[in-house]
Amino acid sequence: MFTLALSDEERLIQETARRFARDRLLPGLRAHERARGVPPEVVREFAGLGLAGGEDLGAFVRALVLEELAAVDPGAALALDAPGLAQPLLDAAGLGAAAGRGVVIEDVEGRFHARDGRLAGEHPWVPADAIAVTAVLHPGCAFVVCEGWRLTPIAACGLEAAGASRLLLDDAPIAATLEDPRALARARAGIRTAVGALLVGAARGAHEYAMRYATERTAFGRPIAHHQALAFLIADLATAVDVARLAVWRAAAALDRGESGEWEAASALAEAAEQALLVGPSAVQILGGHGFMKDHPVEKWMRDIRTLASLAGGRDEAELAAAALAPEHEMGFARGR
Amino acid sequence: MIDLSIGRDLETWLDQVRRLGRDYLRPLGIEADRRHEPVPPDHPFFALAWRMGLGQPLGVEERSASGPRNGARRGVVVAEEMSYWDRGMSVAMPGLGLGGPPLLTMGTPEQKERFLAPFRDREQPHWAAFGMTEPGAGSDVAAIQTTARRDGDGWVLNGAKTFISNSMRADWIVVWATVDRAAGRAGHRAFIVERGTPGLEDMRYEHKMGLIAYESSSFTLRDCRVPVANLLGGERYYAERAGFKGAMKSFNATRPAIAAMAVGIARAAYDAARDFARAHYALDRPTPRYQRVREKLARMARKIEGGRLLCWRAAYLADVEQPNEIEASMAKAFAAGMAQEATGLAVEILGDAGVTADAYVEKLYRDVKAMDIVEGTGQIQRLVIARRLVGLPG
Ligand SMILES: Cc1cc2nc3c(=O)[nH]c(=O)nc-3n(C[C@H](O)[C@H](O)[C@H](O)COP(=O)(O)OP(=O)(O)OC[C@H]3O[C@@H](n4cnc5c(N)ncnc54)[C@H](O)[C@@H]3O)c2cc1C
Repeated sequence: MFTLALSDEERLIQETARRFARDRLLPGLRAHERARGVPPEVVREFAGLGLAGGEDLGAFVRALVLEELAAVDPGAALALDAPGLAQPLLDAAGLGAAAGRGVVIEDVEGRFHARDGRLAGEHPWVPADAIAVTAVLHPGCAFVVCEGWRLTPIAACGLEAAGASRLLLDDAPIAATLEDPRALARARAGIRTAVGALLVGAARGAHEYAMRYATERTAFGRPIAHHQALAFLIADLATAVDVARLAVWRAAAALDRGESGEWEAASALAEAAEQALLVGPSAVQILGGHGFMKDHPVEKWMRDIRTLASLAGGRDEAELAAAALAPEHEMGFARGR
Repeated sequence: MIDLSIGRDLETWLDQVRRLGRDYLRPLGIEADRRHEPVPPDHPFFALAWRMGLGQPLGVEERSASGPRNGARRGVVVAEEMSYWDRGMSVAMPGLGLGGPPLLTMGTPEQKERFLAPFRDREQPHWAAFGMTEPGAGSDVAAIQTTARRDGDGWVLNGAKTFISNSMRADWIVVWATVDRAAGRAGHRAFIVERGTPGLEDMRYEHKMGLIAYESSSFTLRDCRVPVANLLGGERYYAERAGFKGAMKSFNATRPAIAAMAVGIARAAYDAARDFARAHYALDRPTPRYQRVREKLARMARKIEGGRLLCWRAAYLADVEQPNEIEASMAKAFAAGMAQEATGLAVEILGDAGVTADAYVEKLYRDVKAMDIVEGTGQIQRLVIARRLVGLPG
């Protein structure tokens, strides 16, 4: 019979990541934004925990870790996760762990072209200032390149602690091409699940902060949380975070069971994006004018969520992928599912 | 890691529910809807189902003494599957219904023995009912006006109840009354009022928009005298001021299952819309309208599965005896809302055909609305969540 319990080990990992985020990321929240990165000693410390993206953790544990980091700072989560989103493709291509940050581009506009073992093209935004590996995904294949790019720093809406650049691939040598449909589907599902987990984390951070604020701030003689309009909103946002998390967990569990996870991951990202995009601006709204100011982190989470929801093809590609699968999708309690 | 498989035992059980659903629940539900009449209690199907050991699904069981519990989890899965075939019929099925949880959680051993006894007879189907709502008090449960007055070796009830499911066919109804209107919840008492008790009068059908297969009725209690032994839980129970808590406890146990019923209705809408789309549209053609259809199907499926996960979590917590009040209300609020959206999208996917009675999806659209009203409206669920999260008073 189904169970939603975490194992003791999973709980321990979750707790470790939560403590790290609270002790090492939270105090430097704005400093990391300004610095467009996390200090090397913090990166080293996180790597020492053995929880970064290059480690063979499984999709479920990775989702737990990413949520905890993103609940404080999703930009820093990307910075700490190192090859992070690119790792499922590196794994699929048998390239092992990357030497540094990895970025993933879902080439929805067809901007990248492969010729004679080289890849050329341009992308307006990747969430990094320096990278070790770039993966470019097309509908039927993915290319991995490990050198041959130019990065131009830009300003982005959010995720500043990860950095932000325009990326130009100038006939970069292709290190690996991935064409096996199943491997590609699983890699994509892994990426979507991870982005979903980041969205859940950011949404949770925003919701929890706004909820606490609402019990302390008073207006018209009582805590603003005790006005029904806000109380109901807070209840809906709590539900939004939970339903998104459950969707991400389901996708991660499917991946760890060895399934393609295509439907589950596309749905999870679509759900996480929709719910987080509700939570972010609503959290700012709960703080009113104070929410708009940088004195509180809710404005940051709102921007981070908007930016995250565009990552790796974002919400649109996830929804299109789910739409393509929907006419065949079965939801009944069929045997063996 | 979490595990979302339902297990072999339940799969076997579900095969039975599925057959029952296909052969009886859905056809009978549609027929009742067409005729605008509930399925009568003497319909041979009820006797058949009852003999098979099938009744209303509510996920509430008498506690087993040992071993892991899975009643709530079984409950949500079976409730979803039955409602997938027909939610109205699943309530029309014989069984304790909403009368079960208060009897099982509050009743004395003697009361359980006495009032469960008819339900052990598998020859004749039996029903029970739960009477809380009054014309003037629904969400505001504390405001019920039906009075209970002690008189010698009995209690005398006066008042009116409304929208009570299956009360016309029930062996007994759990009737909530107050001994002191000014005392609010502390004044509440629950009585088992048996069919045929003098003073249980004016039973009449209410005509509903959907869920026609089971009857909702209103009735009057006019100097209705019930024996002392029918005070649920006995005097001691209320001395501990647990009267209202008893009612609320039963809602906690049933909310995940009610939420799962919304999931089941929405799933039926998804299947109907998807099958229609596959049969009537060339979905592979790059037609904008067909892209919209696929997107709507994907959205429906995603939301339905989200609702199911919330139900499963609430049920899982109930089984492992962890607090689940927030989670149960989240499941109920989310599932009822998403199911309304999903059935609406199904109507749209069928185009103009969607609003015609023989398309079936418009029935689901009518049926599902009640899921956001019964067992605490969507607003009341949000009150429950907010009370717990931010201490919303009241
Ligand atoms: C099909 C069906 C079957 C039913 N079966 C049974 C049954 O078997 N037994 C039984 O006892 N009852 C039954 N009911 C009754 C049901 O429980 C009530 O209809 C429900 O509790 C709502 O009460 P009400 O209709 O009086 O609405 P009201 O309580 O009058 O509510 C009207 C509106 O006000 C909102 N509202 C109320 N209070 C608040 C608040 N504090 N904050 C914000 N909004 C609020 C509500 O959410 C709703 O939108 C059934 C109803 C239906 C439709």
